[in-house]
Amino acid sequence: MSFQRRTPQLLHEDHQATIVVIEALDQMLEKARKAKPDVSDAKVEKALNMAATAIEDEINNHFSFEEDQLFTLLEDAGDVGIGAHLREEHKAILPLGNRVAEAARAALANGFTDDSWDGFRRSAAELIERMVAHIQKEEMALLPMLEELLDPETDMELSTGYASSH
Amino acid sequence: MLGGSFLGDARDRLLPAAIPFRFFAAAAVFYVLAWAVLLAASDLPDFTGGLGPVLAAIHLLTLGVLAMVAMGASFQLLPVATRQPLARTWPASLCFWLLSGGTVLLAFGMAEGASLAMNSGAISVTIALLIFATLTADNLRRARGLPVVAAHGWVALIALLGVVGLGLALSFDFQHGFLADHQAMALLHMLLALFGFMGVLALGFSLILVPMFALSQTPPPRLGGLQLALAFLALIFVTGAVLSGIAWLFWPGIAAAMAATGIYLWQMQHVLKSGMRKRLGLSFRLIRTSWVTLPIAWLLGLVILLDLPFPNAPVGFGFVVLVGWLLTFLLGVLQRIIPFLASMHIVDENGQPVLMSDLTPELPLQVHAGLHGVAVLLCLAGIFLQSGVLVQIGAAAGLTGALAYAGFVISVSLRVFNATGSKSANG
Repeated sequence: MSFQRRTPQLLHEDHQATIVVIEALDQMLEKARKAKPDVSDAKVEKALNMAATAIEDEINNHFSFEEDQLFTLLEDAGDVGIGAHLREEHKAILPLGNRVAEAARAALANGFTDDSWDGFRRSAAELIERMVAHIQKEEMALLPMLEELLDPETDMELSTGYASSH
Repeated sequence: MLGGSFLGDARDRLLPAAIPFRFFAAAAVFYVLAWAVLLAASDLPDFTGGLGPVLAAIHLLTLGVLAMVAMGASFQLLPVATRQPLARTWPASLCFWLLSGGTVLLAFGMAEGASLAMNSGAISVTIALLIFATLTADNLRRARGLPVVAAHGWVALIALLGVVGLGLALSFDFQHGFLADHQAMALLHMLLALFGFMGVLALGFSLILVPMFALSQTPPPRLGGLQLALAFLALIFVTGAVLSGIAWLFWPGIAAAMAATGIYLWQMQHVLKSGMRKRLGLSFRLIRTSWVTLPIAWLLGLVILLDLPFPNAPVGFGFVVLVGWLLTFLLGVLQRIIPFLASMHIVDENGQPVLMSDLTPELPLQVHAGLHGVAVLLCLAGIFLQSGVLVQIGAAAGLTGALAYAGFVISVSLRVFNATGSKSANG
């Protein structure tokens, strides 16, 4: 999907970047299952590195921008429900993302124990599921709404501000 | 808070949850009933039309399951795709009651040869479908997004008008015998229903749903447009062939349909290949299986047109299209969208949106998928070997699978009804 307006296009690109991380994590979980993986394995290390560095940045910045700038615009235009729903999802995803990032950093430093792997596996699986559904909703509902709602001036102002904070 | 605010605001583009979920729950019940009626009938391999349990089972599937889900999904998804809310929600509720009650009456009347029940059911179903057509047309008229999907909607609605008119006439014709060629009109009714209404809707919704699930680029609109143009052309040719009696018109019809299928399958393959989400789960095994059956249907279509000595090819063709393609596709899509939509309405014990995996019980859905596959294969074998017993064994497998599937749909629907309360249920 591509968008005419810059703001939804930037959010869409964020989603693509997040999904790369999510897919890497998902493949790692699928391959390892209950047996803790070897963190020196190149693919495992790469997935953990992405989880450790990318998730927090992507989530925090992206979510804040949506909540502070975009949902309020939608609410002013009469679309109250979607912002309220996505805010609730953000509330569930944010601590999970931070937890997974922290656990990934710890694993990169010290490897996994049985317990830490079990905790990581559960949190990452929940994050993957919540994040994929969240992105699907935003791609199907939020971004098309923004494409329709934003006039060129507001779009330029929002997208420039967001791009510079990225 | 979650569901109520996301779906309940009249200015929002999505409906009160109880509306689509009552369609989905009813479809699950009709799915069970259809296999149960087919299990009771042993004459599917000899079916050539006419009243009886087989015709009743077919309509339990087409109206009770396919049209029911098409309505629920369209009422919910079209406003999102077209970026326009439904003008009013109460006619959607009215549609539900008319379609469910009408389908029960119609199927009973067909199974028992009871004209009054059949004709009353046909009238009720006709009104439901016309209300659906009016609501959908109004929404498509105001559509601002995804013109290719909207165009599929328009073609499906045009076909639906033909299906409805012919269906009503056929129902009354059983009693009064005013149609010059009942058999030909029944054939046209079936072709327009399966390929024109449901088929084109399936092609159109695939263009938004499959990319969304796979997190992929939507296919180029020109390909979707070409797919639709070819499908529309196929419908015109086969309609012309049946109405005029000129048999060679079926050839360009099937050629256009095969070309449309080729473009559709190429797009779907490309969407899945380029999709960022690789693990798509059990629902996509059903969806992929449904795609495999489409070329098989066209092979059977060619066998019929060439008049090759293949036993029961027409019944096999109808079964592959109705059950192998449309039903399997729709069950896969429904299995995917039910937890997706429900998760917007239900919170877990921590007050967070419930996980979709908590709404997707693996075992019953695996049992269903396996038994559905077994049922399709056994019924097809029964049709081609002209064995009523094989069809009944297949129907027993289908019924068991349908019960597992219905358990999943109804349990999730009940959770949604409980979470959203009776206020939105009156939608």
